[in-house]
Amino acid sequence: MSDIAVRVDHVSKSFRMYHERNQTLKATIMRGRRSVHEDFWALDDVDFDVPTGSTFGLIGSNGSGKSTLLKCLANIYRPNKGSISHFGSMAAMLEVGSGFHAELSGRDNIYLNGSILGMSKKEVDRKYDEIVDFSGVEAFIDQPVKNYSSGMYVRLGFAVAINVDPDILVVDEVLAVGDADFQAKCMQKFADFKQAGKTVILVTHDMDTVSRMCDNVAWLSHGKLLEVGAAEPTIAAYLGSLA
Amino acid sequence: MSYLKEVLSSRELLVNLTLREVRGKYKRTVFGQLWSLANPLALMVIYTIVFAFILRVEPEPGDPSGLNVFAVWLLCALLPWTFFANVVTSGAGSLIANAGLIQKVAFSRIVLPLSLVGSSIYNWLFEMGVLLIVLVIIGSFVWPWIPLLLVIMFLLAVFAAGVALMLAIANVYFRDTQWFLGIILQMWMYLTPIIYPASLVTQQSERVGYLFGTGLTVDFIYNLNPMTHFVEVFRNMLYDNRWPDPTEWLICALWAVASLFIGVVVFRRNENNLAEAL
Repeated sequence: MSDIAVRVDHVSKSFRMYHERNQTLKATIMRGRRSVHEDFWALDDVDFDVPTGSTFGLIGSNGSGKSTLLKCLANIYRPNKGSISHFGSMAAMLEVGSGFHAELSGRDNIYLNGSILGMSKKEVDRKYDEIVDFSGVEAFIDQPVKNYSSGMYVRLGFAVAINVDPDILVVDEVLAVGDADFQAKCMQKFADFKQAGKTVILVTHDMDTVSRMCDNVAWLSHGKLLEVGAAEPTIAAYLGSLA
Repeated sequence: MSYLKEVLSSRELLVNLTLREVRGKYKRTVFGQLWSLANPLALMVIYTIVFAFILRVEPEPGDPSGLNVFAVWLLCALLPWTFFANVVTSGAGSLIANAGLIQKVAFSRIVLPLSLVGSSIYNWLFEMGVLLIVLVIIGSFVWPWIPLLLVIMFLLAVFAAGVALMLAIANVYFRDTQWFLGIILQMWMYLTPIIYPASLVTQQSERVGYLFGTGLTVDFIYNLNPMTHFVEVFRNMLYDNRWPDPTEWLICALWAVASLFIGVVVFRRNENNLAEAL
């Protein structure tokens, strides 16, 4: 196993800022063009490595490009320049309960969501008990999920996602779900993850979480990488820049 | 080839999404799966009254089956058509309906429109099953045709899937697509020999002769419509109990392959941009 889990190699990503966007045929034909736009670079030449087995945090103010980078990591956006390579299987948790069908039971939704996240039926079969147990909704597992409370819904989604069990886990701010009890369970799960030598990349605005969980941190600002390195000094520098 | 592998590796997801559509569709309805029959049956009643009773369209009796029931003659073509229309309409909206999923999870996007093809096939099989029972009751000897029927059903599904893939992408960039589609499908249906026999068009075509001094006839242009050929094959086997013309088979197969090929190429070229374009 190599000691680098993810290599972010000079990644740039631009979005089009539309001054005029013709999404209807009429407008396109009348104006004779699809759109007028300029490029906005949400990520500009970001370059760093994530060591295997570490918990890696992405910090920065709103609009700094954290989520864009996360989506590039999760293979949802393709970078315009540069590349991202990962060594080992990767799963992303950008939203919990994606693709749940409200009318279907919790049980059906576990299988559905599991396969959306890339698990085979066998894997879900094997982890089914663990998922149900972790979510704490076993009493309602055969009820349609539209009858779930929002907490139950999110917990079930989280339980499925965390059990995908990849080598590298990419997490957006989804940690703030459930009650204190459930949060403790999540933290425990992440600790287990780390223990097993797996890599976690997470985005959060909560500096307490970052300093508690992360070994390394990358600080982004306006799409540029300002600093990358050990957690404490980088966080201190970031907080210093805000003050 | 690598793309084929990618799609094959997500077949389990395809099955699950198809089941999501199938199970979710008629949940909490009293009649459940019977609703899938409601629409074609209502159309059958309307068209039979208007075209057979009022306008007196009289298709020739099935040859050699000897059947002469307008409603059944109609259904043999109407069920394939409604399947096609369902696949195309729901497939075209599939990417937009799942925008949230596309923006949050990486997976092979093509399974979204394909899962709607799958769930429409499920409903269609049920409808065709009912039609077969009716055909047997009124004395059509359909049994030997069932294997070939499955082949033409497969070809139509492939053709519809290709069209759905193209329209799904078009709909992301131009939301007009879905509104246009409603009108186009309506015109398309009347341009297909579903509620009238194709022989009427041939008669008119012979009366009109060559168009504008070219070598083209109305009949030639009419036959450019792929659905004409599909409907013909279905009716030959189900209603007439006759071996369809091999050229008709060939035309259907070519349309199916061409449609799927173009559909997949268009889809592949655009699928990486979907998360941003939506």
